[in-house]
Amino acid sequence: MHAFVIRRFLLLVFVLFGVSVLIFGILMTFSPERRAAAYVTTPQQAKDIPRLIQQFGLDDPFYIQYVRWMREIFRGNMGWSLVAARPVGEAFWRYLPVTLEMNLFAAPIVIIFGIWLGTVSGIHRDTWIDHGTRIFAIVGWSLPTFLFALVLLMVFYGYFQLFSPGVLSDKLTMFILDNPETFKRFTGMYTIDGMLNGRLDIALDGLRHLVLPVLTYVIVVVALNMRVMRSGMIEELSKDYVITARAKGADKKTIHIKHARRNALLPVVTVAGQLVALSMEGSVSVEVVFNRQGIGWWLAESATQLDMPVLMCICLFMGIVFVITNLTLDILYAYIDPRIRLT
Amino acid sequence: MMTQEHPRLRELRFTLQRIFRNPSAIIGFTLLIFFVGVALFAPQIAPPKYAHNPYLMPHKGYSPTPKPPGKGQIFGTTSGQYDIFYGAVWGTRIAFKIGLFVVGIAAFVGVTLGAVSGYYGGIIDEVLMRVTDVMWAVPTLVLAMAIVVAFGRGLDKIMIALAMVQWRWYVRVIRSEILTLRDQDFVQAAKIMGVSDAKIILRHILPNAIYPVLIMASMDMGSMVITASFMSFVGLGAPRGYSDWGQMVALARNYIVGPPDDPLRFWYTIVIPGGCIVLFVLAWNLIGDALRDAFDPKIRRR
Amino acid sequence: MTTLLETVDLVTNFYTYEGVVKALNKVSLVVDHGSTFGLVGESGCGKSVTARSIMRIVQEPGRIEGGKVIVYLDEKNRQAGVDLLQQSEVYVEGLRGDQISMIFQEPNAALNPTMSIGDQVSESFLFHQKKEMCAKILEDLYALECRVFYPLKKFQQAVYRLAARDPEALALKILDRLPIVRLWRKRLKKEAKRRSIEIVGKLGIPYPEQIVEQYPHNLSGGMKQRIVIAIALACSPILLIADEATSNLDVTIQAQILELLRRLKKEVISSILLITHDLGVVAETCDRVGVMYAGNLVEVADVKDLFIKSLHPYTKALLEAVPKLSMEGTLKSIEGNVPNLVTPPPGCRFHPRCPHAMEICRKEAPDLIEIEGNHTVACHLF
Repeated sequence: MHAFVIRRFLLLVFVLFGVSVLIFGILMTFSPERRAAAYVTTPQQAKDIPRLIQQFGLDDPFYIQYVRWMREIFRGNMGWSLVAARPVGEAFWRYLPVTLEMNLFAAPIVIIFGIWLGTVSGIHRDTWIDHGTRIFAIVGWSLPTFLFALVLLMVFYGYFQLFSPGVLSDKLTMFILDNPETFKRFTGMYTIDGMLNGRLDIALDGLRHLVLPVLTYVIVVVALNMRVMRSGMIEELSKDYVITARAKGADKKTIHIKHARRNALLPVVTVAGQLVALSMEGSVSVEVVFNRQGIGWWLAESATQLDMPVLMCICLFMGIVFVITNLTLDILYAYIDPRIRLT
Repeated sequence: MMTQEHPRLRELRFTLQRIFRNPSAIIGFTLLIFFVGVALFAPQIAPPKYAHNPYLMPHKGYSPTPKPPGKGQIFGTTSGQYDIFYGAVWGTRIAFKIGLFVVGIAAFVGVTLGAVSGYYGGIIDEVLMRVTDVMWAVPTLVLAMAIVVAFGRGLDKIMIALAMVQWRWYVRVIRSEILTLRDQDFVQAAKIMGVSDAKIILRHILPNAIYPVLIMASMDMGSMVITASFMSFVGLGAPRGYSDWGQMVALARNYIVGPPDDPLRFWYTIVIPGGCIVLFVLAWNLIGDALRDAFDPKIRRR
Repeated sequence: MTTLLETVDLVTNFYTYEGVVKALNKVSLVVDHGSTFGLVGESGCGKSVTARSIMRIVQEPGRIEGGKVIVYLDEKNRQAGVDLLQQSEVYVEGLRGDQISMIFQEPNAALNPTMSIGDQVSESFLFHQKKEMCAKILEDLYALECRVFYPLKKFQQAVYRLAARDPEALALKILDRLPIVRLWRKRLKKEAKRRSIEIVGKLGIPYPEQIVEQYPHNLSGGMKQRIVIAIALACSPILLIADEATSNLDVTIQAQILELLRRLKKEVISSILLITHDLGVVAETCDRVGVMYAGNLVEVADVKDLFIKSLHPYTKALLEAVPKLSMEGTLKSIEGNVPNLVTPPPGCRFHPRCPHAMEICRKEAPDLIEIEGNHTVACHLF
């Protein structure tokens, strides 16, 4: 078990190194001139470009620039973000809570709802419940997240005037900006901060702004979870140990819940890593459309404005999240499956 | 030879029968045939206005306010007075281009690398798997965005970027299939009989391992179009006025909410290109789903 | 001897994509109290389906389409018997594992890989002996040496008194929904585990206390088969159905398991329905034998009669296909293949392979007829 964790940990370090090389390599395809141009704001400064290349060593060999970049990152200097108009590190902590908040609300719904629907449709295979969830899954799979978000916005914001885009209503945002000492930002998430500060109206307003993003996200992401759970259930229910259990006199409920569901959860754990990747992609689309200024929005903005330090930082961050999630899942898997535990 | 081919042909016929008994496959293929028809006859359905580049949408005037469906423009015009009907028709060609190019390259590269590394194992396998591990750590969309930024904007760059990212899926799928097949008796028998490695891979292993790849390719045709259209939507892809569904949605973005007395006035600007994307993706996903049912040995024959 | 189990014209079909597989075509057999009935035949002839139909555990897409499965389990039902196919699922669930139980052919697959052995054996007790166990625990709770915190003891006594009277009581179901209070079941589980250790030990497994903590993948095939038998025997069933119980084990272990079954039959169980394709096993252990071919029972006889004066051409061919020590030359095999049960041959299903096939065989299916005392055969020759 320890050897397993240590090996996985080494792999984690290796993968992160690889990701950093990959990302750095991709962005090194820019010519030194183009990278220097990022520091230039007026046409008059254009003649400074050769000087800038000299000053920052932009035409040095790849590995020298890479080492320099890594050294700066370990010092905590990740560069300057044009989009956020502040250092990348500082901007990162500003945007992260918005993304985190949405995932915090969506993830439990995705997991519980997906497992429940998958179990039900696996048990009632080829009935109308199964066909219904199947259609739901295929349609959910076929809906581009950004498009679904736009349509939701069109209907619920435009027509019903229920939920508006953004993170918080303008009035409350102004209030928070004006009173930084009465409204303390503990976490950066309005729903939680609102409650901690005793301002239920802010918490509720934040929650109202979360409804559509979370809905979009759940409908698009839940399909994978559900289908994996369903096929897991079907597979487990066709296995011989289920017959043994029936021959023992087990009732349907015991067989489904105690025997089959537990084993069918194993493949769900293995695709949970994919779910994490999917949810990262999903948060980009959702944040862009709903204009929620989180990591995903920041990424899209930076991509259109060629804000390279941000792109690098976010790619690295997502790599870290992904690799750590997978490590956790592997350990979790070993914990659930006794066949792995002892080897 | 005949006796060798026969069971495989019968298998194929059986599988096809299974596929076409599935209603989702029928809907999927109908939709697909419709889209293929539209793509093939695009010049006849919507005659191009600009001979040098038929993908540019014709526009009458520059007014930013969309016009509703009516005479002349049966689907109306979107912001900038671009003809939505024209965009929808020629966008089909773009969608097929994206899907076929990305999936074709990714599947070819992925299957080749995966087959070689799975079959031979050893150092090649180790190196390739570590490379995929690294590629794996960054989500498709994010990595593709970074590559597009590095290469410069444009639909062709998006296609290249997606192909560069997506092959990793095929490597993993085909490799795991081959690892289980490699040690099976019929492969060992072929080896003992002195059949060459290339022949074993091509004739004995790939035909048995290809089904999951087909299923995934079909699903990917859809998801790659989604990803590409999102990048166009954000502004990394096709330039303004290009018949790309994602770009058309981007044009409509400011008009999702109409004036207060009629909030859904400009519905057509988003529903039509959006509907095209959804139906196109749906067609491929329905086919993929039917393929999965037909090929899954656990579900079939029971 | 009195009858224990009787199937009448049992018909089971499987609805596959290729068509309807007619797996059982009117199978009628009788198992007596205290006897061992062997069911033999090639693979795919419907032996296992017969067993599963009797237990009513045919899996999708199979369906029991007709016939009767009559059991004469206790005094009350001695006369008329109970038709299992007419009973509710709950009733049959109560019988399975308690009165009738089953051993499966693949010990590696028959156990749940993610549940400990102890939990899997305990399940049998928890399903069928709740009442007795609760009464036993209640007794223990009143016993002097039981040291439990006093109010807790009072509470547990109350709960177990209720459970001993009616294990399905509504109040208990409510208790099970509440956190912490739910823990009253711990004693029940402990008792079930104690009983599992006992039964596992009885089956000749060394260190049963340690074995019950293990998971199936830690055990060898023979060990797993013993566990499967332990599960089946947990509640001392009246009828044990052994479906190829020894086929996947190597010969020495096979012998051990058969010996075990023979011993247990004397001590615990009343009757065994032994399903096998191994005629040697049949000759050694069974009293009566039924031969199955393609979903039909073709011949039923006492074991000696079957081996000495077999009547049906298929039985004869089957016996000739068994290697014997005294034999010289090549072994005879049966020409042709087992028929496809989606489109079985008309008339007698054996006629395409039968050396004595006549005109009538192609048209009419023969009925089982009694030739002499207790020897029946389904063939137009007789």
